[in-house]
Amino acid sequence: MLRQVAISCLVAALVIPAAARTRPHYGGTMRVEIEGDPWQRPGGLARRLVFDGLTTMSADGNPQPALALDWKSENDDHRWQFRLRSGVHFHDGALLTSVNVVASLASACNTNCPWTTVRVAGSSVVFTGDSPMPNLPALLAGDDFRIAIAATNRAGGLVGTGPYQTAGFANGVLTLTANDACWQGRPFVDAVEIRVHRAVRDQWLDLSVGRADLVEVPAEQLRLARDQHLTVLASPPVTLLALQLASSGVLGNPNLRAAIALAVDRSALSNVIFQKQGEITASLLPSALAGYSFLFPTGRDLNRARELRGGIAPPTLTLAVEGGSALQQLAAQRIALNLREAGFTIQVVNAASASHPDLCLRRFSLECSEPSAALESILHTAGQSVPLPEQSLAVTFKAEHEFLDRKLLIPLLYLPRTYASAGRLRDLRLVPDGAPDLAQVSLEDAP
Amino acid sequence: MSLRQKLLLILSLTVGAAVAAVAWTVLVRIRLVFEQRDQQETALFVSQFQREFQHRSAEVAAAVDRMAATERVRSMAFELAQSSDAAPYLTEAQTLAQDAQLDFLEVIGPDGNVVSSAQWPARFGYPEPAAAQSAPAPFLKREDLPDGSTALGLFAVRTIRRTEAPPEPGQEPGPAPAVRLIGGKRLDQSFLADLPVAPGMQAGLLTDTGSSPPLSPDATTLTGPSSPGSPPNPVRFDAKHLIGVTGDVSGAARYQPLIDAALKTGQPSSWILYLTGRREDSVNATAIPLKNESGTVLAVLTVAISRAGMVQAQQHIRAIAYGVAAGGILIAIVFSLWIAARISRPIEQLARAAEEVAGGNWEVRVPERGRDEVSVLARGFNRMTGQLTNQRDRLVQSERVAAWRELARRLAHELKNPLFPLQLTVENLVRARELSPAEFDEVFRESTATLTMEIANLKTIIARFSDFSKMPKPELERIDAKDALARVLALYGAAGIQNDAKLRIETDISIQPMPLMADPELLHRALSNLVLNAMDAMPEGGTLTLSAKPRGDTVEIRVADTGQGLTPEECARLFTPYYTTKQHGTGLGLAIVQSVVADHAGTIAVENCASGGAVFVITLPKAATSS
Repeated sequence: MLRQVAISCLVAALVIPAAARTRPHYGGTMRVEIEGDPWQRPGGLARRLVFDGLTTMSADGNPQPALALDWKSENDDHRWQFRLRSGVHFHDGALLTSVNVVASLASACNTNCPWTTVRVAGSSVVFTGDSPMPNLPALLAGDDFRIAIAATNRAGGLVGTGPYQTAGFANGVLTLTANDACWQGRPFVDAVEIRVHRAVRDQWLDLSVGRADLVEVPAEQLRLARDQHLTVLASPPVTLLALQLASSGVLGNPNLRAAIALAVDRSALSNVIFQKQGEITASLLPSALAGYSFLFPTGRDLNRARELRGGIAPPTLTLAVEGGSALQQLAAQRIALNLREAGFTIQVVNAASASHPDLCLRRFSLECSEPSAALESILHTAGQSVPLPEQSLAVTFKAEHEFLDRKLLIPLLYLPRTYASAGRLRDLRLVPDGAPDLAQVSLEDAP
Repeated sequence: MSLRQKLLLILSLTVGAAVAAVAWTVLVRIRLVFEQRDQQETALFVSQFQREFQHRSAEVAAAVDRMAATERVRSMAFELAQSSDAAPYLTEAQTLAQDAQLDFLEVIGPDGNVVSSAQWPARFGYPEPAAAQSAPAPFLKREDLPDGSTALGLFAVRTIRRTEAPPEPGQEPGPAPAVRLIGGKRLDQSFLADLPVAPGMQAGLLTDTGSSPPLSPDATTLTGPSSPGSPPNPVRFDAKHLIGVTGDVSGAARYQPLIDAALKTGQPSSWILYLTGRREDSVNATAIPLKNESGTVLAVLTVAISRAGMVQAQQHIRAIAYGVAAGGILIAIVFSLWIAARISRPIEQLARAAEEVAGGNWEVRVPERGRDEVSVLARGFNRMTGQLTNQRDRLVQSERVAAWRELARRLAHELKNPLFPLQLTVENLVRARELSPAEFDEVFRESTATLTMEIANLKTIIARFSDFSKMPKPELERIDAKDALARVLALYGAAGIQNDAKLRIETDISIQPMPLMADPELLHRALSNLVLNAMDAMPEGGTLTLSAKPRGDTVEIRVADTGQGLTPEECARLFTPYYTTKQHGTGLGLAIVQSVVADHAGTIAVENCASGGAVFVITLPKAATSS
């Protein structure tokens, strides 16, 4: 008997810590390093942690309740009513109300909104549109429509309802602390330190010496990261690299736009610059999502491009690079070289220094798993819109085809979003748009 | 100009010119020496620059050589030769260039296309014609950059791997395509900053860094502008493209002629450039054309050495030379003054003595000092004046004797005429004692009358001589010559008309004031005497002309007749006392006239008129203008 008890105690002593280790622990500070701005739209890590939307995307890419408990559509998707979750407070203590939500949405979207009007209806928010809005719940999960209000305390700035709240910014490090009163429940990690504008090489160095827990891995360096045995998380192709063309000025001529579209060598971009980590595309939606991407030709036809140019010698065109990362700069220079062969003179500039560039190399995040919503989201980010009366693949294809025929947006590549993490991060996963879901992460070595 | 002034001027000019010539010669020689030294210094620095340039070329070649020999590059070359996948090496050139401190580096694959480019990473996959460069020597190349500009660089090409490729069927075995490195360093401001530059020296580089020309619409491949098929355009002067160590080159536009000359000849050229209007801002500039393998000038290196120090030294020396020259000239003038005074003083004394002799003072003497020519002249002058004095004394003596003789002759002649009637009358009286008393009384009465008349005649003669000997001293007062002539005309004009209608009197008197300081009575007496003489000279009638005109500081009065005129001998002796051409003249009239004129500081002359007759010309000094 005593022997059995001793054995049982020994087994319990071995099993209980193991079981304890499978449960997430509260506490600790997570250190994240990024090359860009944590507040940028879309995909800013701090934006995701501090602000919530009315809806959010589930792991399978469908909208699910967030600040809105539920929603319903009326009048063939011309009217949507979102009922707000009660008892939600902003980080400064203010109560979430429909008035706050309407004010936040109004300031976030002045023009080219998916809706026509948004108004308060008791504890609900009502959206109405001149055209059907079948994808409104999915669109409201996007970073553009996260709810934020001006802080009423002395700290100022914007506050949200997210799992983390802003604690301060010093020496290039943005500190976020856990929101104990979060409506989703308190996050596991006490604080998140986001070191901004950190070069990728330095991020990797910090990760290797234990000064960072999560760092970025540009797509073109994915192979190198794996060669260095980093723990890499890679999303499916969710970031669209596309060339946006102006519809006025010199490029008001559709033939010139078509010539530009034909002159770009996507294979060189994918195979060399992005080290074969990209998916060549001529459609706005990736093949895995829509399935009709093969219908859009991706090949380069320089002779046809010259024909379309028709002997016109356009003045120097400006090509702006959004984000300004070195890789996108390189891609832009390559595109400039391609276009130079077709008879265009291109000057590559930074997007911040060009108010109205003729061309702009941009990245678009694919936030939705539903093709129609994903297309509308991309077009909304691009400042464009197409009629999408219903969520059918045929309608989506037709709308995309008609839009791409105008050559205002030239899809180039779909790229994955990849990160490298330290071993002490637990339950780190990527949301459908490829961003890390830091709110659910806990630390292995937390007390 | 006096002799002293002339001597002073000549001596001063001579000495001044000599000093100026010496100063000019010294300055020119100094300038030549400075410029020669400046040119030597410039040539030295230019040769240093050329050595530095060659050193840079060697550095580039060595850097590319070292890079080509590294295991990393050889491994890359091996991989590239084995597979056509160049993607992994996209950024390799940037890393290698950074490690080797090269500004330009391109890895060229076996197919001749760019695998990786440090200066233009996006240019992968495009051909690079410079890879065909076979010579190991570094070369100049103008490189296109992503921003559309071009940059000049020193490049070297090295082959990484050369393996024997298996021969194709039917072909001779040959070397496999090789991977090449094209590395280079930029020639820009940093290149200039590294050049050995002395204080006051400025190096500049003219490169055509403007926008690269766009590809032609029909171009099928993108190639560099320096490819053999499309030779680069030679650089042309543009002030904006001439850069210095700190950016712009001051006065860049002034370099255009120099650089154009270097571009035209293809050889270094050196000029002195004036960057501003000030000489201190001039530079000794040299333009060195930098050529590529085909001889096209791609850039021009300028070396400008400031001449400020040299110019300031020249100005300092010039100021000293001018000071010395001015001092020398001043001393020369003072010395010349002393010399001129020493030389001219005896001559001036001689001149003054000569003037006094000319003025009638024959007693003057000049000092006789030394044994030079001037002292000989002085002695001769003194001897001459002594002889003149002696001769004058003798002449005066002889003239005095002659005058006494003439006086005696005149007196004898004048007195003989009345004495002869007296003698006859007295003899008649003696003979009349033999006559009756009545007849005696008649004779006696006639004889006494005759005696009385002749005695009176003798008295008159004696009174004339007495008057001549007692010429009164003139009492000067301010009169006008017109008034004196008017008075004479009033006296003799009417007489001439009444007594002799054949005599005509004309006047030619200026209306301008002709003031004289004269005794009106004596002047009237003199003029009257001349008028009477003129009237006597025209017994058959004629024209008497009275004229008066101002002549500068004098007044000229002319009394002309239309008579027979005078012989030269008469002209010469006419004013001699007791000389007369008249039958009954005493010969004292014109002598009195000359005496009156002389007492009024004037002169009188006689000459024959061209139209006949004689004219007496009296010249009297004009009275000072009264206040």
